[in-house]
Amino acid sequence: MNLMADILLNVLTAFLVGSMLLGLHRKVVARIQMRPGPPIIQHLLHLLKFYIKESSFPKTATMPFYIGIAIIFMVIWVSAVIAGPVTQGPLLITFGIYAIHKIVEHNAGSSSGSPYGKLSCVRAVFSAAGEMPLFAVFIIIYYRTGTVTISEIIHYQSINGSLLYTAPLAAFMYFILILSKAQYAPFAVTESTDIVSGYKTEHFGMLRGYFMIADSIMWYMLLWSFLMVFIGTMSPILYIIGMVGITVGVAFISAITPVLNPNHSVALQIIFAVTGITGSILFI
Amino acid sequence: MNKKSTINSSVFIISVSFIVYALIFNPPEWMVIGISIAFIPLSILSFGLLIMAKARKEEEEDRIREPFIGY
Repeated sequence: MNLMADILLNVLTAFLVGSMLLGLHRKVVARIQMRPGPPIIQHLLHLLKFYIKESSFPKTATMPFYIGIAIIFMVIWVSAVIAGPVTQGPLLITFGIYAIHKIVEHNAGSSSGSPYGKLSCVRAVFSAAGEMPLFAVFIIIYYRTGTVTISEIIHYQSINGSLLYTAPLAAFMYFILILSKAQYAPFAVTESTDIVSGYKTEHFGMLRGYFMIADSIMWYMLLWSFLMVFIGTMSPILYIIGMVGITVGVAFISAITPVLNPNHSVALQIIFAVTGITGSILFI
Repeated sequence: MNKKSTINSSVFIISVSFIVYALIFNPPEWMVIGISIAFIPLSILSFGLLIMAKARKEEEEDRIREPFIGY
């Protein structure tokens, strides 16, 4: 297939599947809390509604950075799709994008001039320490497989079996990372409701729709990377089942736990990281 | 057509042109990746800015003079 067509198809798939999964996340959270909740396509409808809505830019916003950061948010997740499903290139690019996501949260918050955005910006810097497990996962995968290229990791798993069984603590740490990026989750300190919508508070109207498109791609990519790195190649149906399973698991945790205090959130993530690293070294 | 619409239309046309060019002419891989990273996000943004609802003429001033502007 033509590379450009492949990229467009993968970006579109990531967007549609990601937005449906985020809708499912909200639905499951609502059902666990004994509420009917929105329909599963609500995230998609919401996103389209915002996308055509009038936008006015706050006077306190730092232009053109206020719009530029929204573009960077989309750029990093489109890049993740290219580095992941399209080319199956180096894992380091995918993991680096997760780290850049924190910088986007920080700058989106600070560019708006809103106190909620600024608070979220401070929390993004603070919670960057929570990305520590990511590098531990990266090192463990390298020690296990001897490679950091996604296609070679998949090949390794087709011969030696799934990494989920041989490096379960790395998989657990990666799951914690997914959890930290989910809305309403205990580690979602940058966009919790106590600071309205955090770094997205002042990005409303069309720009919010744009952020939500990037959010959908992000969610798909987080789940795709988990399944690809820790389970390996499967049929598309099994991928969808895997993504639905992880989303439901994350939604269940989000529904029954409150958002943690930022200090506790970071401390807990670091404890998970230290446990995971120590345990993995002992396993190796 | 005001200045913002002109810029948005130009960005959208340029972005779509590059994407269509990569689709039809199959340029080298690095160029396709560069076009995708730069122009897919720009085309989505510029299209959104073009089709989003606009304030009516008499409401434009209210949009600029917000009742609450600073913190």
